[in-house]
Amino acid sequence: MSSKRLIAISLAVATAVLVSEVPTATRTPRFFRDDPLGREPASQDASGAASSEIGDLYEMVYNLFATSRYKASGVRAQNINTVDEVPDSHWFTNRIGAQALTIDDLVRGPIVGDAPDPSRWTIFREKTSGVHPGITAKDAHGDTWFLQFDPKYYPDAATASVMMATKFFWALGYNQVETFLTTFDPTRVEIGPDATVRRPNGRRTPFTHDDLNAILERVARRPDGTYRVVAGRLLPGKVLGNFRYEGTRPDDPNDVVPHEHRRELRALRVFGAWTNLTDLKSANTLDTLVSENGGAVVKHWLQDVGSTFGMNNDLREWDLGWEHFYQRGTTLKRLASFGFTLGPWQTVDYVEKPSIGKFEGVRFDPRAWRPQTPTTAYMELRDDDAFWAARRVGAFNRDMIAAIVHTGQFSDSSAERALVDIMLKRRDKILQAYLPAVNPIVSPRLCESELFFDNAAVDADVAQAPRRYTAAWFEFDNATGALRPLAETSSATTVMRAPTVLPTEMGSFVSVQIAADGTDYESWRRPIRAYFRRQIDGWKLVGLDRLPEEPATLVASRR
Amino acid sequence: MRNFKLSLMPPVILLVGVLASPVFAQSTDNESRAASMEQEQAMKSTTLRPYVRSPLERAVTRFENTLLYGATKWHAFFEGSYDGGGFAPGVGYVQRVSAYNTVDVRGSQSIKRYSLAEAEFIAPRLLHRRAELSVVGGWKDATQVGFYGLGASTSTSDRADFAFEQPFAGARLKLRPTRRMLTLVGGADVARWSFKTPTGTAPAVDSLYTPATLAGLGTTTTYVHSQASVGFDWRGAPGYARRGGLYAVTAHDYTDRDSRFGFRRLDYEVTQHFPIFRESWAISVHSLASTTFAKNGQQVPFYLTPSLGGGSDLRGYSSGRFRDRNSLLLQGEWRIMVNRFFDTAVFYDAGTVARRVSELDLTGLKHDYGFGARFHTPFATVLRVDVARSSEGTTLVFGTSAAF
Repeated sequence: MSSKRLIAISLAVATAVLVSEVPTATRTPRFFRDDPLGREPASQDASGAASSEIGDLYEMVYNLFATSRYKASGVRAQNINTVDEVPDSHWFTNRIGAQALTIDDLVRGPIVGDAPDPSRWTIFREKTSGVHPGITAKDAHGDTWFLQFDPKYYPDAATASVMMATKFFWALGYNQVETFLTTFDPTRVEIGPDATVRRPNGRRTPFTHDDLNAILERVARRPDGTYRVVAGRLLPGKVLGNFRYEGTRPDDPNDVVPHEHRRELRALRVFGAWTNLTDLKSANTLDTLVSENGGAVVKHWLQDVGSTFGMNNDLREWDLGWEHFYQRGTTLKRLASFGFTLGPWQTVDYVEKPSIGKFEGVRFDPRAWRPQTPTTAYMELRDDDAFWAARRVGAFNRDMIAAIVHTGQFSDSSAERALVDIMLKRRDKILQAYLPAVNPIVSPRLCESELFFDNAAVDADVAQAPRRYTAAWFEFDNATGALRPLAETSSATTVMRAPTVLPTEMGSFVSVQIAADGTDYESWRRPIRAYFRRQIDGWKLVGLDRLPEEPATLVASRR
Repeated sequence: MRNFKLSLMPPVILLVGVLASPVFAQSTDNESRAASMEQEQAMKSTTLRPYVRSPLERAVTRFENTLLYGATKWHAFFEGSYDGGGFAPGVGYVQRVSAYNTVDVRGSQSIKRYSLAEAEFIAPRLLHRRAELSVVGGWKDATQVGFYGLGASTSTSDRADFAFEQPFAGARLKLRPTRRMLTLVGGADVARWSFKTPTGTAPAVDSLYTPATLAGLGTTTTYVHSQASVGFDWRGAPGYARRGGLYAVTAHDYTDRDSRFGFRRLDYEVTQHFPIFRESWAISVHSLASTTFAKNGQQVPFYLTPSLGGGSDLRGYSSGRFRDRNSLLLQGEWRIMVNRFFDTAVFYDAGTVARRVSELDLTGLKHDYGFGARFHTPFATVLRVDVARSSEGTTLVFGTSAAF
């Protein structure tokens, strides 16, 4: 081999080594100056997004037979910021647990406009979504509303569920439809001259009085001849159809995080369990195109959250919340045992009140909760996602829950009380299941000489405090990701003395790895990693890894 | 020298390129997380495309639209012309003639070459949705219908065959006056029974019997059949139920235009489903008693006598295995919900036939038992497969409706 060739090869190898040895960590800093991000940007004009629907049957078949066999990737949620939180976006707004919500805020929920004027309803088409009877009509002011009635066998329950659920899910951070409980008086109804209904032959023909009667015959009527309805305001913007719980919209430039890796969509497994949102499917979601800053962006809604609490499609669906419509393992067990392997739903004591439906909190197990069909985001839930969600559930106290339940305007006050009790029981079980499952240290704060933090599981009274907490302190190089050990400290409480050797220059970083010792929870021994940046006003928390995917010395590409 | 330069160029270019690339830059002050995300969004904006459904999604959605809106007019049809013909594949074409009314033209031929061709008009929302009208007309043909003699003590070796063809036309109105449990049904039809030589291996009926020993043999008879029924039906859906019941009495009048074989028939039917463990189990019982009364000086023809045996009654016996002027059927099923779409069942059937009503008792009942599997929707049984065992052997039943 010639010397020239040797030199060339050596240079090539050296280059390769240099490139591989230059830590990939240095390609981008671990923390940017705007970390932690408070809002997910939507920088591009999405006006080209077009409507696309997903068929109910396809989604059900796909989710039951394909999604149910989906192997969770274990990938950390990709839309979280550097402190393990979900930034605001067109999907989600941080509300409970992130800001102080008053009872009035919760009771108002998503409402920003006036209630409908029910003195005259003008029907112009049938209700196009959901299983419970309804119509689309304009009120006396000419505003468009989607009206939903209570079925005969569930007086109060269907409308109350919508009322309560919109407020719970609004408080939890989701975009919700403005809904009001109001009255439908058939003597004050007219059918609009252009009102139509889609017939089984696929054609739209004029809406008739018989069409209205066909609806009213199936719904609960009050003694005075009027009907209790829940009115949902027409959403602003152009309707783009449903969003899916996996992938991204290919026509929305701002939609860059696969939906199954959006934490707020994964967290619906926890929020769904709490509220028993059994009909967790794309068909109950909606995307709309709305104007913003001179352009258009896609806004994502949980449009129909009415299949909640004990509200089902039918009076006799005892299994909802306990099993998917189809589960292979359960099917085989029942087949082999002639049905003698009983599921909990076959014997559980429901609070049998017609205004509640099938709902209970005693045998409820959040990890065993099942919607009608799984979604990919549901399958991707990790313990850190569930922990995040559980903290939000835990932020609802009894007064808050009672206030929201009261908006259901139950005619049976005992039903209202029972519902509050069930929600509290289910809340506590969620806290018990998910808060201790990961290292529950939250809210680390670093002052000049002390480190403060909280233990979410202990504070929620679902776990015993550990014997002590330990902390390993490092100086952190934001450019390279390198860690230089500084000290190790410990404390029996959630206040710990900081070492005296912390860097003092502005812009410097320290990393603190905090774990618990002397506890039954193995997961607590795995430290959380907190990152602080020194600023003029002190140390600012800029990073928090609860369940990181890679060693801390590598820069994560996540945001 | 030239070669040396060429050899060095790739690694040098690579090194320089890597060192100079923006992602390698050490300066962070001008960078932000938001900017990084906006860059990603900007990149995506150059590759936007509309959502395209996969072939599977397109196919399932088309099927769904067919169910909801009748978008596809062709459909499978598995109903045979007469019991005992075996599997009868067929096809139909539905045309919606108004918002709710349909005309369905359909036909089938069974593996024993039983044929059926008919057209049915259905108006499901008459009288402000209280009534459903069905008008049907067509032609049917059965090539080897088994006849084992009258009475319960016949033997399989007694089998003889008959064959017939029959044009028919009729109308039926089903009324739910209160839109609740009370159900009234009335209808009339005309059918001509013309017999021909059977094609099976069993001897022909007319080789073993004479018109004197078997009423109706060797004649062509045109019947005007009218019926009226009153019942209480609170099952979830007739096609699939795990709760509720049906209690009904139906009166039939068969008028022979030649006044030779006119008779009346009464059917008493009770179905009751007892749900257990939140309807995950159901004990379902069914009873059907049929009695016939010949009109003055007339006879009940053998081919219209009540019969037992076949896929929905005495499932362990062949179709029409037992015939006589009166019949009694008792059935029980233990239905087990395996999942939302699939049930299994253990069943027991018993029944008998007799010349006189007073002879219908519970002694000497013919019986069978078996196991079944059913695929269903909330409202209809899509496929029923039953394996039934009786003293005459084991039979396999395929059905596209519930047994009861």
